[in-house]
Amino acid sequence: MFLQLVANGLVTGSVYAIAAVGVSLVYGILRLVNFAYGDFMAFGALVAFGVNVPLHQSMAVAALAGMAATAALSLVLDAVLWHPLRVRRAGFMSLFLASIGLALVLRQSLLLAAGSAPRSYDVNPYRVFVLGSVRLSEAQVIAIITAAGTIIVVGMFLAVTTWGRVLRAMADDRALAAVAGIDVGSATRIAWIISGLLAGLAGVLAALVEYSFDPNFGFQLLLPVFAAVVLGGIGSAYGALLGGLTLGLAQEVSTWSGFAGGVNPVYKPVVAFSVLALALLIRPQGFFGRARVG
Amino acid sequence: MSAILEVENVVRAFGAIRAVDGATFTVEEHSVTGLIGPNGAGKTTLFATIAGSLKPSSGRIVFSGRRIDRKPAYRVARAGVVRTYQAARVLTRMSVLDNLLLASKDHPGEGLTGIVLRPRASRDHERRTRARALELLALVGLDSHAHAYAGTLSGGQRKLLDLARVLMLEPSLVLLDEPMAGVAPTLRIELLEHILAVRRELGITFLVVEHDLDFVMQAADRVVVMNEGRVLAIGTPAEVRANEQVVDAYLGTAH
Amino acid sequence: MSILASGGFWAFVGVVAGIYTILSLGLQVQFGFAGLLNFGQVGFMALGAYTMAILVVKEGWSMWLAAPLGVVAAAVGGLLLGLPTLRLRADYFAIVTIAFSEIIRYVATNETSLTGGTQGTIALGPIGTASQYNGGWSTFQTYVQRTLGFSSADATMLVIVWAVAVVLLTLTWLALRTPWGRVLRAVRDDEDAAASLGKNVFAYKLQALALGAALAGVAGLFYAWEFSFFSPDDFEPLLTFFAWMILLLGGIGRVWAVPVGALVFGFIFAGTRFLNFAPFTWVASDERAYIRLIIIGLIILVLVVLRPQGLLGNRREMVLE
Repeated sequence: MFLQLVANGLVTGSVYAIAAVGVSLVYGILRLVNFAYGDFMAFGALVAFGVNVPLHQSMAVAALAGMAATAALSLVLDAVLWHPLRVRRAGFMSLFLASIGLALVLRQSLLLAAGSAPRSYDVNPYRVFVLGSVRLSEAQVIAIITAAGTIIVVGMFLAVTTWGRVLRAMADDRALAAVAGIDVGSATRIAWIISGLLAGLAGVLAALVEYSFDPNFGFQLLLPVFAAVVLGGIGSAYGALLGGLTLGLAQEVSTWSGFAGGVNPVYKPVVAFSVLALALLIRPQGFFGRARVG
Repeated sequence: MSAILEVENVVRAFGAIRAVDGATFTVEEHSVTGLIGPNGAGKTTLFATIAGSLKPSSGRIVFSGRRIDRKPAYRVARAGVVRTYQAARVLTRMSVLDNLLLASKDHPGEGLTGIVLRPRASRDHERRTRARALELLALVGLDSHAHAYAGTLSGGQRKLLDLARVLMLEPSLVLLDEPMAGVAPTLRIELLEHILAVRRELGITFLVVEHDLDFVMQAADRVVVMNEGRVLAIGTPAEVRANEQVVDAYLGTAH
Repeated sequence: MSILASGGFWAFVGVVAGIYTILSLGLQVQFGFAGLLNFGQVGFMALGAYTMAILVVKEGWSMWLAAPLGVVAAAVGGLLLGLPTLRLRADYFAIVTIAFSEIIRYVATNETSLTGGTQGTIALGPIGTASQYNGGWSTFQTYVQRTLGFSSADATMLVIVWAVAVVLLTLTWLALRTPWGRVLRAVRDDEDAAASLGKNVFAYKLQALALGAALAGVAGLFYAWEFSFFSPDDFEPLLTFFAWMILLLGGIGRVWAVPVGALVFGFIFAGTRFLNFAPFTWVASDERAYIRLIIIGLIILVLVVLRPQGLLGNRREMVLE
C-alpha cells in the first residue's frame, strides 16, 4: 500500500514539477507570477483532445500539438499583453493582476468554446501494469516516463546549453545579465516557448492521469503548482523540480494508514499547503530562493 | 568625554564573504566622527549592523552602556540611534510634513487603542509634533515645501528632509550615510553648516560615512579608517591623513 | 426595456453593490492603505457567513449574538493568517493568501456535519429550520420596513446594506486620517523606512489585515441574509478578484472610490443577468455567464495597462508602480 502511494506521488509530483519549472522560468526572466498558467495547461489539454478524439490522432501527436499550441499562445500573449506592460515599466503587482485578468478571460473563453462537459482522451483506463505490489494505469505509466524524460531534458538544457545558462543567470540577477550583453528579448521569447511547452505537456499529462477533465481543471492544479514553486524557491528551476516532486509525494503518502490512520484523501490539497506553510516557517525563501525580492 | 558607542569585534558575513571582519572602535559623545575607507571596506554594512537592519554574525555593539546588537531596527531607533540612507530614504508618496510627523516618538494616536481610548492626548501630541516639525522644516529651509509630495524634492533637499526627520526622533546618535552624495557642491557647505549647528545646539553625536574627504577633514573631530572589513586606523583628521597605511589602502584600490 | 424600470431590479443591483462595497473596503484597507497583497479576502467573508449560520441554525443562538461573532471570527481568521505569513516576501504572501481561502472552502465542503457540505446551509438543520437564520434576520428586516414605511423588502434591504456601508466607509475614512492611518500609509510606501522610524511594521500590517478581514466578515453576513442559503462554492477566489477589480476601477488608496467601483461592478455583474432584450438574448444563459466574466477579465486587463489609478485614483500616489 505504501509503495503504491509513493508511485502515485511520483506521478502527481512529476506533473507538478514540470508545470512548476515553466512557472519558475517565466518568473526568473520577467518577475511575473503567471496566474493564468493553470489555464494554459487546460488550453494545452483541450487542444490535445481536439487532435486526439475528433481527428483520431495518437496521444503522442495530440500531446505535441497541445504543447505547440500552448507555446504559440504564450508568445502571442507576450507580444500583446506582457510586452506593453514591460514598456510601461509595470511592477510585480500590475503583472500579477494582469495575469489574473488574463486567467479569467482565458478560462471563460475555453468554457465558451468547449463547454463545461467533462471529456477524456482516447485511452483505455482499465489497462494496468503491475510491478510487485504497485498497480499503475497506462496513463500513469505514460505520465511518469514522459515526465522523467522531460525533467532530464530540461535539467540538462538548463545546466549545459548556453541558453540554459543564460536563463539561469537572468533569474539570478537580471540587471547584471542585461549589462553583460545578454539578448533579453530572445531570452524572453525562449523562456515563454519553454514555459508554454511545459504547460501544455503538464496539462496533457494531468488530464491523462485524471482521465476525465473539463476546462476548469487548470485552476485546481495551479495552487499546488504555485506551492511547489514557492517551496523550491521562486525563480529557481531546480527548486521547482524538487518542490513539485516533494509536494506530490507528500500529498499522496500522507494518506497512508500508517500515519495514524492517514489523512482523509479529500484533504490532499490541504496537505500540500501545510507542507508549504511549514517549510516557509523554517526557511522563508524556500529551498533555493532568495530572502528578499530583487 | 565618554564613549557613546562601542563597537567590539563585529563581524558580518554573507555566506563566504565577510563584509565586516572584526571591526572595533568607539565613538565619543557629542563628536562628529568620520568613518572612511575605500569602496567595499564594509562601511555601509557596518552602519546597517549598528542600526539594527542587519544582525552581526558575531561581536558586540554597546550604546550608552546597553547592548543593541541583537535588537531589531525599530528598537534600536527607539533607543536613540537613527540612521540616514545614502539615497535619502524619504517616503515619496507622502507629503514633506507627513514625513516629519511620522518621526514623532510615542505618539498615542499611532496606536489603534490610542485613537479610540485617548483621543484628547492624541490630538495634543499631534499638535505639538506638528509645531516641532514645522520648526525643523524652517531650520533646514524646507518650510515652503511642507505640503508637497516628498518625491518632488531634489537630491539635496531630500538630504535636508532626512536630517530634519531623524532629528524629530530626538536621537542621541545619528549615523549619516554619505550625506554629501548626490548633493550639488554649492549646497554642500550649507548642509555641513546644518550638521555642525545641530551638533552645537542639540548636542547630538554624529557618525558619518563619507567619501568627500574635504568634508571629513573639515567637520570631523576623529576619523576611523576601515579597509576590507577591519579598522585600519583611528585618529584626528591630520593624523589619519599622514598615516601611510591609510594612503596605501586608498591608492591601492581602483576608484 | 421594462425591466430597467423595475424597482426590484435596481434594488438587487444596489444590494450586490453594497455587499461588494463592504468587501472591497476591507481590501482597500489591506492593500490600498497598508500595501498587503491579500488575495484571500473571500475566505474571511466565508468565515463571517458560516460562523453566523452555524451558530444560529445548529446551536440556536440569537442572531444578535451570532452576527457580531461572525465578524469576530473573520477578524480572528485575519490574525491567524497574518501571524505566520506577514513576514514573508510579498509574492509568497499573495500565493499563501489564496491557499488560505481555498483551504477554508475545502474544509467547508468536506466537513458536512459542520457546514452542510456542498449542499450548503440548507442542510444545516432539519428541513424547514435552516431558514431560521433568515428568520432572525427577516424579523429585523420587516421591523425596519414597517418603521420606514416601505412597501418592498428589496428596498428595505437596500437601505440597510447601504446604511451600514456608509457608516463603515465613514469610520474607515476617519481612521485613516489619524496618526495611525499615517503610519499605515508609510508602511505601504516603504516599510524599511517606516521601521527605521521606530514603527512596529509587523503590528500595523497585522491590524490592517484583521480589520480588512472583519469588514469582509460583515460582507459575508449581508451575503447570507440577502441570498438566504449559501454553499462553499459561493466563496470561490473569483469573488476576491471582483473585489480587486472594484479597487482597480474606483481607485486604489481612496476610501470613497470603493462605492463607485462597486456600483459599476454591480451593474455589469448583477445587472446584465436580468436584461432580457437583444443583444443579450442572442446568447444562451450559461454562455452569458462566461461572457460576463470575460468582460470583467478584460476590464481588469485594460485598467492595469491603461489606467492603473482607476476612475478616481491619484496617479502620483498610485501604488501599482
